[in-house]
Amino acid sequence: MKAIRLIAITVLALTALTILGTHYLAPAGYEQQFRETPQAAPSGHHLLGTDELGRDCWARLLYGMRVSLTLAPLAALFTTLLAGLVGGIAGYFGGWTERCCKLLIDLFLSVPWLFLLITVRAVLPLNVSPEASVTLTFALLGVLGWAASARVICAGAKDLMKSEFVWMARASGFSGLKLVRLHLMPNLRGALLAQFWISIPVFIIAEANLGALGLGVAEPLPSLGSLLRELQDSVMVRPEPWRLLPLAVLIVVISSFQVLLNKQEIRT
Amino acid sequence: MASFAGAMLMRIAPGFSSDDQELNSGLSAQSIQAIRRAHLADSDIPHFYAQYIASLVRGDLGTSRSLNQPVKELLRDRLPTTLTNLAFALAVGWLLGLALAIAAQMWDSPALSVLANGLSGTFISTPAAALALVFLLLRWPPAFAAALLVFPKIYRYAQNLLQQSSEMPHVLTARAKGAGPWRVLAWHVAPIALPQIIALVGVSISIGIGVLLPIEVVSDVAGIGQLAWQAAQARDLPLLVNLTMVVTFVTVCATLISDAAQRGFRRSAA
Repeated sequence: MKAIRLIAITVLALTALTILGTHYLAPAGYEQQFRETPQAAPSGHHLLGTDELGRDCWARLLYGMRVSLTLAPLAALFTTLLAGLVGGIAGYFGGWTERCCKLLIDLFLSVPWLFLLITVRAVLPLNVSPEASVTLTFALLGVLGWAASARVICAGAKDLMKSEFVWMARASGFSGLKLVRLHLMPNLRGALLAQFWISIPVFIIAEANLGALGLGVAEPLPSLGSLLRELQDSVMVRPEPWRLLPLAVLIVVISSFQVLLNKQEIRT
Repeated sequence: MASFAGAMLMRIAPGFSSDDQELNSGLSAQSIQAIRRAHLADSDIPHFYAQYIASLVRGDLGTSRSLNQPVKELLRDRLPTTLTNLAFALAVGWLLGLALAIAAQMWDSPALSVLANGLSGTFISTPAAALALVFLLLRWPPAFAAALLVFPKIYRYAQNLLQQSSEMPHVLTARAKGAGPWRVLAWHVAPIALPQIIALVGVSISIGIGVLLPIEVVSDVAGIGQLAWQAAQARDLPLLVNLTMVVTFVTVCATLISDAAQRGFRRSAA
């Protein structure tokens, strides 16, 4: 298991380096067209060949990884903050506030997450600029993904409010923000961090699902999801297995996250 | 509440009040006016919802705006397909997940562990739409793709539970007294792990419905998932409200039933 974790860490470190060095590693821009060589096979000039518009597939994969793997953690950060806020408020105040927050959480959890995400994204405008579509997609992940995490945080905050050290702090005159800052936040940090890490692979997969259905990031900006959409041309995939590389990259990166998450979950 | 929230979202979505049919040059001015009036009637959400509930009590689910068909008929046509695929996905997913979890527990084989963890790790990391594409390419049944996406959750949860249960003091005592592995599993491990595994039934149904939506869209399966996707894209309020309600109803019922079964099992075990 130790060797597998080491491989996972190496994969994620390499991925992070690739994202940082995209500008230097990519032989061309993601939208640059080589019109004389559309649908070219892999060669020295184009490592993964070109797509039907003559764009370099290797460059698009690198930029796609950068978009998906940079914005998914940002969306995860937003959703963790939202979960911390709602769950924290529910756990801290208890009573009616807790019941209202839990009702909201249950409302979100009563609809399957992927069903909710895809229907809501389909309702929102699709013919927008690539920048707007990428913001919209990841903002939506952040806004809709908080409920399960909020339930965990709420339970944690509620337990803390019943703990002896919080009672002692209250008896000593601590209340409001001071109690939250000095006692609740430091003790909830582990749970919040775990929720953040759990959300990242979930959001990468969700973006890939949206992209594959044509509801994700708009052309010409690539993301792992929009690159998967290109696989839909099954006739093209059969003789050219290298077109499956975005899917392989996605599976390897998410699997690495999963391997490390098991360890992280045990620790928290 | 979920369907009301869905209706509110549809109302505030851009382009709600417009319809593709208005661009049809073959339609008369009166027809276009009638289409606009129908949209206007739907735009007052509390009014629409009150009317919807009143119709629902009479057994009328309204008419789909985009498909021009009664919603009841659409559900009657599509629901069996989704439910059949869901039942298949759950049955195969549970069978595979439980079988591998029990096998990993019974035979402490590194090869089996690597195989089971590798399989579950791969499918938990694969987007439903991408797996559906691969299955489409291989001409394999789409319901099997859903089963493979349900399986990792069952396997991981069941495996963790069996592992935790088998490390409990009374299980160790039973082993020390010479009870065989199957006897230990059936009489000492399963009674502790089973109630918590039963609680996963509701969650697995929710996961199954979630993954069936992209699978139905990609594989062109005429089910509820594909219908929901079409309804959302066409801003078809009556259809989407009903679909959200059906999906929420199935999910909530499944969760309630599995919770009740869990409680009943615990009571009978006590």
